[in-house]
This record gives sequence, C-alpha cells and structure tokens, in this order.
Amino acid sequence: MPTDTPTFADFLANWPIFRDAVLTGAFAGALLGFLGVQVVLRRMVFASSAISQAAALGVALSFWIPSVIDPVGHAAAHSGNPGVHSSIPLLFDPVVWALGTSLVATLLFTVNPVRWRITGEGLLGIVFLASSAFAVIIGDRLTQETHDLAAILFGSAVVVRRSDLVLVTGAMVSLMGLHILFWRPLIFVAFDPVAARVQGLPVGKLNAFVFLAVGVGVAFSTRALGALPVFAFSVLPALAALLLTTRLSLVFALAAALGAMSGAGGYLVSFRAETPVGATQAALAVAVLLLASAWRTVARTLARSRGAAASASSSPTG
Amino acid sequence: MLISLPADTAPSTMPSSSTSSSEPAPGGRDEGTSSADPLLVAAALEIGHDGAAILPPMDLRIERGTFWAIIGPNGSGKSTFVRTILGLDRPIRGAVTRAPDLRAAYMPQQATLDPIFPIRVLEFVLMGRIDRRRVAPQPRAVGGSGGAGAGGGRAPDHGARGTHGGLMGPPSRDDLQAARAALRDVRAAELERRLLRDLSGGQRQRVLFARALAADANLYVLDEPTAALDIATEREVLGLISALRDQRGASIVMITHLVDDGLSRADRALLLDRDHGTTLVGPAAEVRSAPELLRLYSPLHGHGPGPGPAEPPPSPPAAPVD
Repeated sequence: MPTDTPTFADFLANWPIFRDAVLTGAFAGALLGFLGVQVVLRRMVFASSAISQAAALGVALSFWIPSVIDPVGHAAAHSGNPGVHSSIPLLFDPVVWALGTSLVATLLFTVNPVRWRITGEGLLGIVFLASSAFAVIIGDRLTQETHDLAAILFGSAVVVRRSDLVLVTGAMVSLMGLHILFWRPLIFVAFDPVAARVQGLPVGKLNAFVFLAVGVGVAFSTRALGALPVFAFSVLPALAALLLTTRLSLVFALAAALGAMSGAGGYLVSFRAETPVGATQAALAVAVLLLASAWRTVARTLARSRGAAASASSSPTG
Repeated sequence: MLISLPADTAPSTMPSSSTSSSEPAPGGRDEGTSSADPLLVAAALEIGHDGAAILPPMDLRIERGTFWAIIGPNGSGKSTFVRTILGLDRPIRGAVTRAPDLRAAYMPQQATLDPIFPIRVLEFVLMGRIDRRRVAPQPRAVGGSGGAGAGGGRAPDHGARGTHGGLMGPPSRDDLQAARAALRDVRAAELERRLLRDLSGGQRQRVLFARALAADANLYVLDEPTAALDIATEREVLGLISALRDQRGASIVMITHLVDDGLSRADRALLLDRDHGTTLVGPAAEVRSAPELLRLYSPLHGHGPGPGPAEPPPSPPAAPVD
C-alpha cells in the first residue's frame, strides 16, 4: 500500500498554516544560538538546560494550580480545546509561569554558590533535577493537559500561537540588540571579570543581564518549541560556530545563523519526514555541529598539507 | 622606620598587634605629593578567607606616585591582599579607604584567563580602555608613540590621553591608537591579530602588560608582571613600570618574586609571610635588608637580595605628561 508522504510542495501550499511555527523556530534558534555563545564561553552549558527545565516546570504549574484552586471552572475552560488557554486568566498563562520560574532559576545562578558550600555546577544540577522531578510529578497529576505538557517537555508542539511568535521576535530584537550595544564590556566581563571589576565596570549588572537574557529567551522559546530544542539551540550552534571561526564577532553571527537554520530547517525536515518537530530541530542542530567539525578537520588537513608543500618547495635541494 | 610584627604568633590569633608605616619613600619620591591625599589607605587591615585572618593587621598608605613591591612566598597572602585593597574581597577586619578619583588597572596572572575564548591580542588590549568612570574627552595633544622600545623607560602615556569609547559601541580611534601604542611599547605590535591563547608564555605576558599600559589609571596593580619573561624582557618591563610612576605619576602595586630587581626599583615594600605570621612594611631598601626577608629568600633562592640596585632607574622623561 503506497504511503502518502508529504512533499515540500504540500508544505509550500500550506505555508500560511506553518508560517508562525517556522518563523518562531527560526527566531528562537537565532536568539538562543547568539546567547549560546556566552553560555558556552562561560562554561555554563548546563545552565540553559536547567533554565529550560525550570520553564517547563512553570508551564506545568500554570496548568496544575488552577486545577487545584477551581477544578470545575478549569475543566470547563479546557473542555472545548485542551490546547487553547485563551479563557485562562493572565495570572495562569503558561508563558507568565515559564518566565517566572526561569527568572527564579536565573537569579539563583547570579548568586555566588560558594557561600552555600556548593559549586556552580552543583547548583545547576540541583535546579535541573528539582525542576525535572517536579515537572514530571505535576504532569502525572494532570488529566486535561498531559499532551500539552509532554509537548513542552519534549518539544513536539506543531503549531505555535501568534503570541509566541510576537514574544520570541521581541526578545530576539531587544536582547540581541542590547548585547550588540554593550558587546565589549559583556565580553570583557565574561573573559576577565576581575580586571573588569577593577576598572569599574558593573560586573554584577552585566552578568545579570546575560543570565536574564538567557532566562527570558529560554522561557519564551520553551513555551513555543519545548525544552529539548531550546537546550539544543542554546549550546550546539555556538559550539559549531566556535569550530568554524576564531573571530569572536563572527562566532556570534554564525551561531545565530546556524540556530535559525536549525529552527526553521528542523520544522521543514520534520514535516517531510513526519518526525517530532522538537527532536528533529535538535537533531538538525547536532548534524550542523558534526558538519562543522568535519569541515574544520578538512580545512586543517588542507592547511597542513599546503604548509608542508610550501616548506618542501622552499627548502634547498640536493 | 621599619615595623615588624613578632613572628612567633599564630596569624589568626594576633589581632592585638598591628603594623603601621607612613614613612616617606627614599629619594624624595613622596615629595610633591600630599600625604593627606593618598590613593588608598588601609587601617588595621586584616585579610583572609571565610572570616579567618591569615595575617596580622596592617596599616599602610599608598601615596600617589609611589611604587610598592609586594613580596612573600607562595600562598603568603599577596593576591588576597591585592584583592582586598581593590575591593574584590572584603577585609576580615579593619578598613580600606580609596580616593574618589582612584582609577585602577589590573594585570592578572595569565593562568587565570580561559583559553576557550577566541580573543585576539588587539581586542584584549582594548579591554584596558573600557572604563565607565572615564568617558569625558581630554583635550590633550597626542604625541607619537615612537619606537624607543620598552627598555628605554619612555613614558607609556597613551593611556592618559584621548577619549575612551565608553561602554557602548565600538572602540574609538583614540582607543585603537592607545592600544597599538601599548603593544609597540612591549614589542608586541606584530602580535596584534594573533589569538591570545596561541601566544607563548612570554608573549602573553607582554600583551597582558600592554593592556594595563593602555588603561588610563592612576594605580596599576600587577600580579607577577615579569613571570615567564626572559631576563632582558624582564628588565624592559620593569623599566616601563618605573616609567609609569616617574612620568605619569601613577602608583604601582606589584606582586613579585624578584627580590633584587623588584625591590631596587620600588619605593616601598610589603613583605607577607603567612607561615611566620609576619607582615613587614616600609621603605623598600629597608625591607630588602630585613632579616625576615633574608630568612625567607636567601637560603633557597638565587633571587636573594644582593648588594645594590640591579639597574639604574630609567632616565627622566623628556616632557611631563601629566
């Protein structure tokens, strides 16, 4: 029996349906890829994972708390379309809760954990594990929104809301813009925080900006795309860009471009291959990283052989 | 006058003793500066970690235009002292008072810089020009950087002229000029486009010093600035450091293991010896011949204090910069 595999022509024919999701994936990929360079250079890769898990916990709480406070009204609100929360008050909007829990996690990372006798890595692990555990526990208590929560945790959301696109676009423009504006001090603070403090830079505020930017970007993107692709975008494009160039400004630009490509391209591939969107976006980001690694290996080999040839031709014969 | 604490008391249990010294520097180095207007004053300062002092209390005043050498064995508290006076660490007890116009520049040990960053040399030196405290233009004539080299003791004045780009946007033209001039001064101009992480230890040390030079500071805090340098470059860098004091009027606080070369150029010295619970502060020449120093360095180190200065001080500036 022949299968009816969707084609790219089908995708283009239905572009208005997919447009918001593709653009959201691209913009979230660009924002997280850009911020991911700071994440990778500061050796806090696990932070974005922990923050995205905290955002997922926030979404789970936004579903669970109303169901506890007002179970009848909550069930009625979801009886028509479980995926739509338009009748839910702003207080229990999943984005608000995702943002709130992300910012709480982010604020924790701005505190020096040494005073609690734990390392920074240990703090990241605590936030990640606590968020993951409680998100799963709360998910188990939910009946109406189990599918929604699974989509957020694992990134299988197919259709994103217009409000998600607006939020992600706004975050991309403002956070990347501010980062470019304060580019030099932000790099200085990340690279040599002691000298930056000595020279009077507001190191705490600049670090807080980076963490908050990651928190906001992760929160908005997690609600739209899911935790898995969000973590992938905030790590893998930056790693790929660092393999492809050693010019720092270009690293940021390239990471944003690769993140956008993974976000939009992953959606397209998932449509064609009929695979889960979030996992496909993450897998595409992995593929980009592998390609970058292969490219670097080839380029280095060629450079070495060119160098060897040049030295052989310049050395005296006989 | 040299004041020393008894050496037979445990460091964390000797808060009753204190060091104090406000002796003028040798050679009239303090002349012309107001003793009432120091850059930094430490009063009954105790430094340490986790609430426990590691050294006895100390009193000292870092006057403008003085060169301090901070010496002591590894782990004696030199870096902790520097971090405390800069406000990076809190004192265990006592107080540090900084002048309102204090502008410090810091040269770290190169091991503290993470090689994962693809930072190019020029980008790194330009970091010395990022300073939110100084954004106003200075109507100062810009002279050529020349090419006298580091060893000539020429005034490394590029930090004190031109305008900084501030916190936002790209570096200004003055910033670029100052950074390149600083690189020329340490004979590292050809390294401008290289990655900092790809440099040899000696090259990186010169670039670290170039960043400090590029800054517009009146206090330069240098953590072993001559580590990993060959002897000739070491002398050149020491000459430049002295010139910062002599020509720009800046104060220097230099952590060093160079007992001979370092102390011969310094005006004042602070010897820290955590193991013996000793702090010693005073004119560098006196600290250099103190028995506490001989006890620490002479038996073990070829750097032990010798009979006199290793090298004459740099020639006076052709024209005052400040």
